[in-house]
Amino acid sequence: MTTILKVEGLVKAYTGGTLALKGIDLTVEEGEFIAVIGPSGAGKSTLLRSINRLIEPTEGTVAFLGEVMNSNSKRSLRRWRAQIGMIFQHYNLVNRSSVLENVLHGRLGYMSPLAGVLGRYSEEDKQAAVDLLTKVGLGNEVFKRADELSGGQMQRVGISRAIMQQPKLILADEPIASLDPKSSSVVMDTIYENCRSRGIACLVNLHQVEVAKKYATRIVGIKGGAKVFDGSPEELTEEMIYDIYQGKEHEMHAQASGE
Amino acid sequence: MQQETSFQAYPSSKLEKTGKPSGKKIRVGHRKTQLQNRLFFAAAAVLFLVCVSFLDLSWEQFTNGLSSIPNIASKVMTISFDALPDLTDGMLTSIIIAFLTVVISVVLSILLAFLIAENITPVKWAGRVLRYILLVIRTVPTTIWVLLAVASMGFGSMAGVLGLIFPTSSYLIKSFAAQIEESGDETIEAMRAVGASWLQIVFKGLLPGLLLPFLAIVSFRFEMEVAETVMLGMVGAGGIGVLLQDYISYYEFADLALGIIIVFVTIFAVELISNRVRSRLARR
Repeated sequence: MTTILKVEGLVKAYTGGTLALKGIDLTVEEGEFIAVIGPSGAGKSTLLRSINRLIEPTEGTVAFLGEVMNSNSKRSLRRWRAQIGMIFQHYNLVNRSSVLENVLHGRLGYMSPLAGVLGRYSEEDKQAAVDLLTKVGLGNEVFKRADELSGGQMQRVGISRAIMQQPKLILADEPIASLDPKSSSVVMDTIYENCRSRGIACLVNLHQVEVAKKYATRIVGIKGGAKVFDGSPEELTEEMIYDIYQGKEHEMHAQASGE
Repeated sequence: MQQETSFQAYPSSKLEKTGKPSGKKIRVGHRKTQLQNRLFFAAAAVLFLVCVSFLDLSWEQFTNGLSSIPNIASKVMTISFDALPDLTDGMLTSIIIAFLTVVISVVLSILLAFLIAENITPVKWAGRVLRYILLVIRTVPTTIWVLLAVASMGFGSMAGVLGLIFPTSSYLIKSFAAQIEESGDETIEAMRAVGASWLQIVFKGLLPGLLLPFLAIVSFRFEMEVAETVMLGMVGAGGIGVLLQDYISYYEFADLALGIIIVFVTIFAVELISNRVRSRLARR
């Protein structure tokens, strides 16, 4: 097994001194499906965004495929980001563009800036995007505008965009927090199946423990910016869960919290 | 559960005791606020009196002026259609000046807006410097810009367009940038995450969603611009304002009356159309 990601001593301090991350170590191996659980405000989102440097961490290193990432060169940063897919709570699609175009955005990181601006996607990419959309059940929605879709459909477009990057790693930040239970399970199934069949490692932030236990090969518990649990779903005991969510127990089972 | 117990901590008998009327009138207002209000009005009254004495307003001039109003009014009431061709030509020129100014300014503004919008600016300090330059441009009144242009280009439409480009562009850049800052964050995050470059984020991520709001801003600015060109014609920027200025100086009130009506109808129509356009855009 190759190591996809090695996070060491990650610290994020916001101006004003609040520590969002207090030195996190984390290793992700090929094909793992890791759920990161913890109450809101624990630092789950900051952790994910520090990995692809949407947030610049204060201290610590992130090594992706053995290479230590930094923000010094815009070009290498683009190359790293192109190989790491990301899925968002609010889908973050370009609402006024077509579904197909949104999925093709996943290729922008591999294209020259000008070709990207002009929208000159290759025919193979277009075909691959259509096939992908058909596979996730959006075959009839390819040419619709993104904002004509339902939440669950939008998230499947978001997933397709990430898969389109042919990534080695996918970061999913609360992918089902804005969805109803039925759409949630469709979305989680879609993420899980695509990652497993393509051998993509996945790091998914969740606050619902049941969902984490159902899908994850490994669970990481975060509390107050520090890692307090790292092990298999079987090892996650009830006491451990209560410890992680101490004071915020109501968040454990919340399905659509509508944050 | 906790809430219920804390509520019971205040037995109803206690509430009755404090609610008893004590014979004295109860003050309703907030004392500090009342005091502030009184102080404010007193200061405003003093300031007004000082200003009146400073300007040396004479009652005599006012009454004389009042007596001549019926005279002027009756002159303006008579309409002559002799100047109709000149006036329509002038009005058209004014509209064209406004249109050209807006088009040129939009071209100048779009990319600059992305340079200064806080959430997408590629170089933070350069964006800030540009912001201050725009602030300076905006604080100089439009009339001054046009007069400067007239001074260097001579009277006419050329000076009008040139002079109006400065305030128009700075207005558009600021409004566009505010729109970008308001609507872009989530898309920007997603586009950065796929490894898109700055230009790709702007063109593929942001512009598709911004075109309609931008169009609404532009139509509003065009509406303002038409009204502005009429006025600025009076200082030599071409268009119908030049004619109006002439009629006033030569006491040709019959022609002036027609001019005022033409201006009124045109601006009214432009505003109506631009409102229609914006409400259509909002519904899409």
